[in-house]
Amino acid sequence: MVVGLSAAEKVYIAGGIAADIRGDGRGRHQFREFNIDTSVIPQANGSARICLGGTDVIASVKAELSVPPPGRPNHGKLEISVECSPTAAPEFEGRGGEELSMDLSRALQRSFLGGTSGAGAAIDLAALSIVEGKLCWALYIDGLVLSSDGNLLDALSIAMKAALSNCGLPKVEIIGGTSPEEEPDYELSGNPEEFTRLETSLVPVIVTLTKVGKHYIVDATAEEESQMTAAVSVAVNKKGSVCGLTKRGGTGLDTSVLLDMISVAKRHSAVLRRALAFAGLFSSPNVEKRPVSFCLLLFRRLDANGCRTK
Amino acid sequence: MGEPMRRTHFRLSPSQKERLSQAQERCREAAGSVHASAFVNVGDTILVDYENGFLRGHGTQLVDGQLLATVCGVVERVNKLVSVRPLRARYNPETGDVVVGRITEVAPKRWKVDVNSRQDAQLMLSAVNLPGGIQRRRTATDELNMRDLFTENDLISAEVQTLHQDGSLHLHTRSLKYGKLENGHLVKVAPYLIKRLKQHFHQLKQYGVQLILGCNGYVWISAVPPSSSEMEIDQKPADSESRQPGAGTSEGQNVEITRDLRVRICRIANAVRVLGACGFMIHPDSIVDTYEASLSWGIEPRQMISGEFHVRVVEREAEQRSKKG
Repeated sequence: MVVGLSAAEKVYIAGGIAADIRGDGRGRHQFREFNIDTSVIPQANGSARICLGGTDVIASVKAELSVPPPGRPNHGKLEISVECSPTAAPEFEGRGGEELSMDLSRALQRSFLGGTSGAGAAIDLAALSIVEGKLCWALYIDGLVLSSDGNLLDALSIAMKAALSNCGLPKVEIIGGTSPEEEPDYELSGNPEEFTRLETSLVPVIVTLTKVGKHYIVDATAEEESQMTAAVSVAVNKKGSVCGLTKRGGTGLDTSVLLDMISVAKRHSAVLRRALAFAGLFSSPNVEKRPVSFCLLLFRRLDANGCRTK
Repeated sequence: MGEPMRRTHFRLSPSQKERLSQAQERCREAAGSVHASAFVNVGDTILVDYENGFLRGHGTQLVDGQLLATVCGVVERVNKLVSVRPLRARYNPETGDVVVGRITEVAPKRWKVDVNSRQDAQLMLSAVNLPGGIQRRRTATDELNMRDLFTENDLISAEVQTLHQDGSLHLHTRSLKYGKLENGHLVKVAPYLIKRLKQHFHQLKQYGVQLILGCNGYVWISAVPPSSSEMEIDQKPADSESRQPGAGTSEGQNVEITRDLRVRICRIANAVRVLGACGFMIHPDSIVDTYEASLSWGIEPRQMISGEFHVRVVEREAEQRSKKG
């Protein structure tokens, strides 16, 4: 997004970050309040919408029955793509949003998908297999940016994790065709009570740290992002291990700063994960088609260092 | 910052939603000034006296002999003229309005300025004060040095000089109080929330904060510029012309902004954001009121953009209105 700022505003933003008080009153390491809605798209198997300040994204998971990828007969398929809607910014019209979409989806693919062999993916691909070599689930995770006010990657990762947790796969009953020569014959259960959930505990959340001047901040707004010299996106999973690391911006970072950033990202990811788990308590997989809205007052639980205060 | 509020950015729990709708209901009851039928949606019939005749104004259309609203807003009647003033619209300029705008383009002999109107406004080179303060013809050299005065993306305050038939508008900055804006930040709200007042430049001395309420919905909140800290800006427009040359542009006058001042600026900015999101009129009194309320409730600036604070502000407003009524 193109953000035009006058020289005076740039100085003011940088000064605010240095003084640990940003334009909207947050400190350097404070997230904006955010809100998760799950089961927002009835046609999808799982969906979630997250509003993080002025940023608004939707993620959906669509499951299809498919043939396992060649060479990996006991694996399912997982695909991630992101689209930027022209409602977010006029620049996204036509092919304008393509570059940003590619950037975002690549960063998400790196943290969510494993290597080409499928090892190390956030979702156990073997669990998506139904009949070895013949039938498996293919999960298409799509992100849509509806409105952009910075920190799109974090919002998308949270939305995708919520959508995956919200996803319910209908039960597949194999009726025949189990021998290697035959085509498998199956029946999809029409009973909304019969579904399987995905194991999503290892799906990481991404925390982006944006360096402006000498300091780095979390959850940058579009104005702050326009002033960044470097940004590091750290994907952290439940165990607190780093699953993916994406750096944008040409400026180099000192190793000690990078390690510092990773530890801050870890702290924040723990809080985000807790918030997500809390939202998950109230949501059910999409099969029941009951939209659930959940409000998170994040910054009350965080002190300046991103630690929980109460 | 960001776009004017297209939808609410704050989130509410079910109990907060309930409280908010109750408070809004009380506000409506207490107001009593505007009858509910004065609000129309697109396609609503407007009651008019067909026998005595009427004049069809903006925002209306005659369909099968019936007067319908073409926009969502408030019905206004002036004698026989019936029009609908839209609630959510772009800025409708009037001559003499104080506006805050952003330079989008430097063109021959003029700057193009975004003022949240349908078209970019024009600021002619002949409508600005040159540094040095002397009145003279603008030369080709002046034209070449236009970027020294204002460059792309600069924020300026200005006044609407003339409106033209084709919808374009011209600005001027021929007073020392207008010019480049520094040491603060911009908050955008819906233009209809800012009433045209005698003064749009306000110095909240107790906080050391300067407030420029642009009629176009752009609000500039900054530290008090040092040149004007002793004088009331609006009090002396007449003799300010003869004052220190070039002081109006306040260029390069970067005051030291302490953390405390930043917190105050931020609190004011968030008060404006909250009032804008709640749809309350924005004027210095309401801003100071919200500011003091946040202080007395012990709310930190960053918590002011949370749902709870919005609900409390609306509840408070409802209480005040019912007391008055």
